[in-house]
Amino acid sequence: MAWGTFVQRLLGNKGSAGLAKDRLQVVVMYDRLGLSPEQMAALRKDIMETISRHVAIDSERVKIDFLPTPAEVTITAPVRRGRTRGEEPKQQAG
Amino acid sequence: MSGRAIVITSGKGGVGKTTATANLGLGLARHDRKVVLIDGDIGLRNLDIIMGLENRIVYHLVDVVRGRCQVRQALVKDKRFPHLALLPASQIDQKEAISPEQMRELAAQLKEDFDFVLIDCPAGIEQGFRNAVAGADEAIVITTPDVSPVRDADRVIGLLQNSLGDPQLIINRMSTQMVQRGDMLDQQDVLDILAVNLLGIVPEDEEVVVAGNRGSPVVLNEKSQSGQAYGRIVRRILGEDVPIPELNGHGGIFHRLGKLFSRR
Ligand SMILES: Nc1ncnc2c1ncn2[C@@H]1O[C@H](COP(=O)(O)OP(=O)(O)O)[C@@H](O)[C@H]1O
Ligand SMILES: [Mg+2]
Repeated sequence: MAWGTFVQRLLGNKGSAGLAKDRLQVVVMYDRLGLSPEQMAALRKDIMETISRHVAIDSERVKIDFLPTPAEVTITAPVRRGRTRGEEPKQQAG
Repeated sequence: MSGRAIVITSGKGGVGKTTATANLGLGLARHDRKVVLIDGDIGLRNLDIIMGLENRIVYHLVDVVRGRCQVRQALVKDKRFPHLALLPASQIDQKEAISPEQMRELAAQLKEDFDFVLIDCPAGIEQGFRNAVAGADEAIVITTPDVSPVRDADRVIGLLQNSLGDPQLIINRMSTQMVQRGDMLDQQDVLDILAVNLLGIVPEDEEVVVAGNRGSPVVLNEKSQSGQAYGRIVRRILGEDVPIPELNGHGGIFHRLGKLFSRR
């Protein structure tokens, strides 16, 4: 971001450039992956199912991020405590 | 001799490929390099007009490839620099009139006689693009700081990386006023997205239109901002380390702040 732009944003003048950049980042990411939004949703579901088969995760809080530059996929899946692989979840006594 | 063959491409049409090809060609010729420009936009020839050479065309690219004439018969010699030549496109054929292999052979042949072979690529990513890229060793991608051209540039960069490696980028038609207003992506925004090496920035400049009218590209006009920008890009292509200046030339932070406050 140029200084001029930075100062403008400080002064609360947002302009359309920020929106342009945000939209570009999303659209370019999908272009690079060559995936449609439907395929993305399917990928997300597969990833969650695969992880859940081995580790108990908090499926509500799973995050799959595709970062454009440099291109990378990060998966953040909070693991639930109190249960290891292969074990049934234990009921807390009391 | 084995010259450098460089394709100037963009994906999106109308962003300044032909203008850039003409200016880089003239700029390199002014540095005493032997240069040939190939108009790769078969069916929509343009480079001859921008160069002011439209009245001298006898043969064209498709004639050469079809063996209807020798390459040197088709080359149109520039009026200003005897060591600069244009190989015009055919106006009546389709992109499919030549193949990538034929383009590769033609470029190889021209590289024996010229220091630089610049190929003006048509818009799109189909056959015309493939032909133009096939002849090249390096690529320059040109974009304007707008959403669609940057998106298309990203696509083209991806395609180029498979064949020619990382291209260099020119950002064209940058408007300092719009960037300062926050209504135009600035150079860092564009680079954040495209992640390639920046070769230069050309400002939005009415002189480009005047130059087009005259058939005398802006690089020949030392007074114009865009002409100076092309002059610097040419020196960078020749390996000189020329810094990329602030666009308005006097754009220090205090100057900008001053301008900002005086506007309110
Ligand atoms: N830096 C610039 N400032 C103003 N107008 C420009 C600039 N660069 C290109 N243009 C204009 O944009 C139009 C398209 O340019 P052109 O070189 O033909 O693009 P392309 O070959 O990519 O289709 C032309 O009318 C040209 O005069
Ligand atoms: Mg063109």
